[in-house]
Parts: sequence; C-alpha cells; structure tokens
Amino acid sequence: MKEQVSILDGNTFLVSDRRGDIERSQDFPTGLFSFDTRFLSTWVLTVDGQRLHPLSVDDAFSNRTRFFLVPGPPTHYLDAKASVIRSRSIGGSFTEELTVLNHSGREVEFVVRVDMGADFADVFEIKQSQRKQGRAITAPGENELRFTYRREGFHRETVVRTDAEATIDPTGMTFHVRLDPHGEWINQLDVDTVIYGARGEDIRANLPLGASRSIAEINAEHDEVVERAPKLGCDCQPLAGAYLRSLNDLAALRYESIALGVRLMAAGLPWFMTLFGRDSIFTSLQVLPFLPDLVPPTITMLAGLQGFRVDDFRDEEPGKILHELRYGETAGFEEQPHSPYYGSVDSTPLFVILLDEYERWTGDVALVRQLEAPARGALDWIDTYGDLLGTGYVWYQTRNPETGLGNQCWKDSWDAISYSDGRLPGFPRATCETQGYAYDAKMRGARLARTVWNDPAYAERLEREAAELKERFNRDFWLPDREFYALALDPDGRPVDALSSNIGHLLWSGIVDENKAGPVAAHLLGPRLFSGWGVRTLADDQGRYNPIGYHVGTVWPFDNSFIAWGLWRYGFREEAGRICEGILSASRHFGGRLPEAFAGYERGLTDYAVEYPTACSPQAWSAGTPLLLLRVMLGLEPQGEHLIIDPAVPEGMGQVELLDIPGRWGLVDALGRSRTAGDPVRRR
Amino acid sequence: MTETTERFFATLPARAPAVLRSPVRGTLQLRLTTGDHCEHWRVELAPGSARVTRETGPADAYWYGSIDLFDRLVTGRAHGVASMLRNESTLTGDVVLFLAFRRFFPTRPGTRDPRTVAREQTGRPA
Repeated sequence: MKEQVSILDGNTFLVSDRRGDIERSQDFPTGLFSFDTRFLSTWVLTVDGQRLHPLSVDDAFSNRTRFFLVPGPPTHYLDAKASVIRSRSIGGSFTEELTVLNHSGREVEFVVRVDMGADFADVFEIKQSQRKQGRAITAPGENELRFTYRREGFHRETVVRTDAEATIDPTGMTFHVRLDPHGEWINQLDVDTVIYGARGEDIRANLPLGASRSIAEINAEHDEVVERAPKLGCDCQPLAGAYLRSLNDLAALRYESIALGVRLMAAGLPWFMTLFGRDSIFTSLQVLPFLPDLVPPTITMLAGLQGFRVDDFRDEEPGKILHELRYGETAGFEEQPHSPYYGSVDSTPLFVILLDEYERWTGDVALVRQLEAPARGALDWIDTYGDLLGTGYVWYQTRNPETGLGNQCWKDSWDAISYSDGRLPGFPRATCETQGYAYDAKMRGARLARTVWNDPAYAERLEREAAELKERFNRDFWLPDREFYALALDPDGRPVDALSSNIGHLLWSGIVDENKAGPVAAHLLGPRLFSGWGVRTLADDQGRYNPIGYHVGTVWPFDNSFIAWGLWRYGFREEAGRICEGILSASRHFGGRLPEAFAGYERGLTDYAVEYPTACSPQAWSAGTPLLLLRVMLGLEPQGEHLIIDPAVPEGMGQVELLDIPGRWGLVDALGRSRTAGDPVRRR
Repeated sequence: MTETTERFFATLPARAPAVLRSPVRGTLQLRLTTGDHCEHWRVELAPGSARVTRETGPADAYWYGSIDLFDRLVTGRAHGVASMLRNESTLTGDVVLFLAFRRFFPTRPGTRDPRTVAREQTGRPA
C-alpha cells in the first residue's frame, strides 16, 4: 500500500499520510505546497485525543481525495461507535470537509481537533533543518488562524478558516461536538495560500488565467483536455488504462506560472513541480500527436527565458535554454540559482528538435517564424559556448560548484556518468546522447531554414556540419571491440566506456551509422541492458550498477519511450514492440500511472515491477510515455501534409485503434493489430 | 536619477538591433523609486528598435522597483527575475516584454568566458 496520498492542481499540491495527516518530515516533502513554498507543514486530526485509522481511501481523482477513518488503533475498529470522513480537494485553495458520524443509539460528545502549522519551507530546505531567515507570526482570530512569513519584501501567508465554531489557539483548532443518536457533524475548513506582491496584493490575483478556479472549473478543464485527445480503442487493458491515466495526469500537471502568466507543465510530484527545460521538451515531444495545444506555451516561454549573457552562478550563456525555473525564497534570495538555472547541456539542441517536430505535425509556420531568432541562437550555442573545449562536441562543466549541477545531462545524479569499471571521469564531460541531439538539431534546423526561414545557405551549412559531426562521432565514440558507443568522452577526449541506455537515444537522433545500428539494438535488447520490463539506465555488469540506483540501473519509462522511437526509426519494429509491451505491462503494477523510475530487477525474478523508493509520481514525461509508445506501435509519422500510418503492434496486444489524430491533415484515424499465430492474413 | 541609469537608457536605441531580434513589440513603463521620489522611464520595444522617453501613460507592462536596484541591474550586479521572486521588484502586464528588455542588462563585472577557463584548465589552446 502506498505510504503517501497526493492531490494536485498545477504546482499546488498536498502530500499526506494514509490518514490524511501531515506531520513535519525531512525526507519526503509532506505538506501543502504552492509555488515551491510549504504553506502547511502540520495538519493532524484527532478525536477525543486519539489519532485515526484509515479504513479506505478514495484517491481516484488527481485533485480530490476522501479518507474513511475510525478513531483509535486498528484492533478496535470493528465495533467503532463513530467514524470520520475527510473529504478534501485542491483548486487554488485547499478545502477539507470533516464529517463525524455517531453510530450509536445515544447522544455522544466528541472533542475534534486539528493541529495546524506552517513552516514556509522552501522546497530546497525540506531536507535541511536550518532556521528560516525571515520572521514568522501566528495569529488566531475569529473563525480563522493566520500564519505569516516575511523576509524583506518576501511575504507569504496561510489562512485557515472554519465554518463551525471553534476554540482557536496558535497550534490549531478544537471543536466541541455534540451528536444526536446516529447523528452527524460536518465542518468545512478552507486553507488559503497567499503570495504577496508589491502593493499587498496576491500576485496570483493578477494572473491572466486566474489562480483560484473552483473545483468544477478545474474538472471541466481536465475533461476538456481529455476530450480533445484522440480516442483510443484497444483490446489491451494495460494500454487503455495507462492512456487514460496519462491524459488525466498531464491535464493536472499544468500550472500557471506566477512570474510568466502562462500555463506551463510541471515536471513531477513532489520534487519537480515547476518548469524544466529538458522535461517539458521531452514531454512535449511525447504528447505532440495527441495534445499539440500544450506545446506552444512551453516552447514560447523557453524561448523568452533563453540565456543572453554569461552568468556563472546560473551556468547561463547566450543562446542556452533553461534547465529549471523555481519561484521560492531560495531562488529569490539567490541562495539557489533557479531564477532560472541553465545547467542543462541538452535542452538547447532539444529546443530546436521540438520546434521542428511541432511544425511537422501542426503546420504552424507562424510560430517557427516568430521563434527564428531564438532557434538560431540555440543552434549557435551548440558550436560556441556548447563546444567548451573547441573539439567539435558539446561539453558541460558547472561554474557553480556549490549549488550547480555536476552532471548536466538527463542522468544528472552525481554518479550517473562512469567508466565501465565504476571510476568517475573528470570534467568537462561530453555525453554521447547530447552529440546525437546536436546532430538532430542541425538536421532539423536545416529543414526549418530551407522551408520556413528562406535561408538555403544556412540550411546547407547546418547539413554539412551535421554530416561532419556524425562522421567524427562514429569515429571517436564507437568502441569497436565492444560494439557500442561510449557513454561519454572524458576531458582528455578518451571514451568513458560504460554500457548504458544512452545509446538508445542515439538511434532516435539518427547519428548512428547504418552498420552500427544492429549491434546497438542487440545491446539494448540484450540481457545486460533489458530487464524484461524495459532498458536499464546502466547495464547490470557495470561497476556502478545498482537495480535501485537512480540513474545507474533503474528503468525509466520516458527513457524507454525514446529508445523505442529510435529502434523504430532504424527499422527495428519487433525490438521496439518488446519495449512497448514491457513498459505497458509494468504500468499495471502502478495502477496505470508509470512512475519516474522503477527497479532494474530481472522481470522473471520478481514478476512484479518494483517502484524506485522516492520516485516522483505523477511525472510528466512518464505520463507522456504511453502516448509515445502508441505512436511507435502505430507507426505515426508526418510526411508533408499527410500522416503515414505503418503499424507494428506487438504480439498478443490485439487491436489498437486511435481515432481523430489531430495535425495539419485535419483529423485522421489509425488502426493496427498484432500478428497472431491464428491470423492467416498477416502471418509472418 | 543616477548617472548609471541615465547612461544605460541612452545606449538602448543603438544596442537594440543586436539585442531585440525577436518579433517583440510593446511599451514598458518603468517606475523607479527612492524614498518619496519617483522617476519614470518609458521604452517602446520593437524588433531591432527601442525608443526611450520620460513620458508616462498606458503601457503593455509596468515594472516597479527602487533606483538602487535598477542601478544594480544595469551594471550586472543584480538579477531581474530573482529580484521579482523576492518581491524587490514587481511586474504587471506582458512578461514577454520584460524578458526582452532584460536582455539589455550586462554581464556581471569580472565574468570570464567559460571556454577560456575550461581550455586553460584542460591545457588546450584557447
């Protein structure tokens, strides 16, 4: 059973235990959060001084939960004389309705209490216990309890209001309840989170989209997102379940940026409820065939926040696309660099890739024209600041050793990039997949230059540079005796020779020589990398392999979706299908909601997909995974004004039907069905 | 008014062709305060051009902050977005205009080209 229960709307979210309680914790962020600040750190319900015990939890919806509880320890509950329902939702503010039911035939009195507290921790401070620099005040009032935090102009407030009469003290509210035989008592608590702007107004009140939407409005918005997406009909239950779950999670992860006033996609609950360059681009690439409207706000904001000067604290350079934007106290007071932070080596080429892919699906040349300067800036970055050592590759090395990121590729944990024997290379590092993205960005940039920007000379230059990069890469990164590409180059230009999932992304970007694609595919589906559920981040015989190591052995659904795309690109349909089947089967163990990562254990060993201990869920690019896998299985590829449909549905999956796929062709349907032994027409 | 701020605004029209390359268009009204004094600057931004006046009037975006903060911004010693996040400055209206405008802010004094630093460190030709 899950330890935590989460609800969210955009980047406002609440994480509690199974009773619905919040207690201060430093290892996992429980509490009510909004824009990277914790507005509630204590929220504990007792009845007659006793904690409650959960009978069941209804968490079918992303923005509301109901907890069915009884007072006292579990051994007593079978003849409980009372029960409690906590019904809560998030929509701008947090609302909790408490219902106490008297099951006995006589009048009863209860003392119901909710302990309350707000520590206003920044999301970066959760794991530390340092004292806050600003001043906190708690003020009990009539029917309300107000928590205030100020540090210079930075001003946050939590206001808890009660409908029912209460005794209010600085640490909570107490309700004296008298219930008739079989009677019930209902009270609603409203919790407002306030982010003050310059003139004492809540910043969010001025947002064009409006911050406080009602639950009904939120549900209507979610429904609209799901309604707009193509309809899936299929025999395969894991696929159907994962598809619906994904659409709902993607709808819920959209938030309105307080600094930017547009609706962006948060990356993942609970650590990454904000805009990430890399995550938002990968998610956009995954959802493009299904929800193309989600893409323009993201891509426009990434362009607007493109780096324009050298800033060592933020690892910023001209033309670079951001890594992470945060809204909290530590970003504001420059204790953390996320305002925004640019420590990402790949978001810049990925930005160009997304712009091209977006146009190929939608035909929206207006946006490509509008973003010509940022796209050229991004392409320039690849060969200027990106090529840190002047060797024709894109390198990374942070200039902020205290709060910057060591590894600036998608595997950004400290030990993710290693030699086969486990040693760690020095900096700067040039990871292989980044070179693939740079190649693809040049090829796609060339297409845009030729077809939209009317600059054929630039197109030719980019294509020539891409060809040279491909040749150079296949010489310097290829390990001929082992028949795979090195994970990276070290600062001396020597291969960092670990076998990793990164080689799958190379297939996706097209930088792999035709004669090397076969061995790469064989490694990806071989026993060292493929667990049966998916491709491990690191092969199981490498020095740093750990099946529950964040980037050194776990299976990442998003990673696998791009690997499947890559295999398809090089014609390995059956291999791509095995990945689709594995990941979708794994999704059953998570109720259709693929987590950020799960353990790299052999499928035959556990026959159960084991979640990575602190995996984020829902996470945008995991939610996007079933969508991209569908695209791969149906072989959906725009070509001019048409959509090519070339299905290769894995064995046993039956029929897969996707209706109303939007794009420059209008709406198109796709149908595929798996080959089976009994199928005379499509037998192999 | 400080000399630094005045000098900064004076350079904008000449720098605009290199700085404003995106199809951004609109008016940004800046109100710079010090104590009870307040001064106004108005910048009309368009692709490749920036027109600066001391007028006030309706605008597409409004920026509020102290003269001292603005001095630090235009000398590369403060950061535009971070100052908004800590509420030392405020923006209302079209944020894209401010994001375009902040491209006029210079690099922090003393910052070196990261390529030079990395190539020195690895013993490669700069």
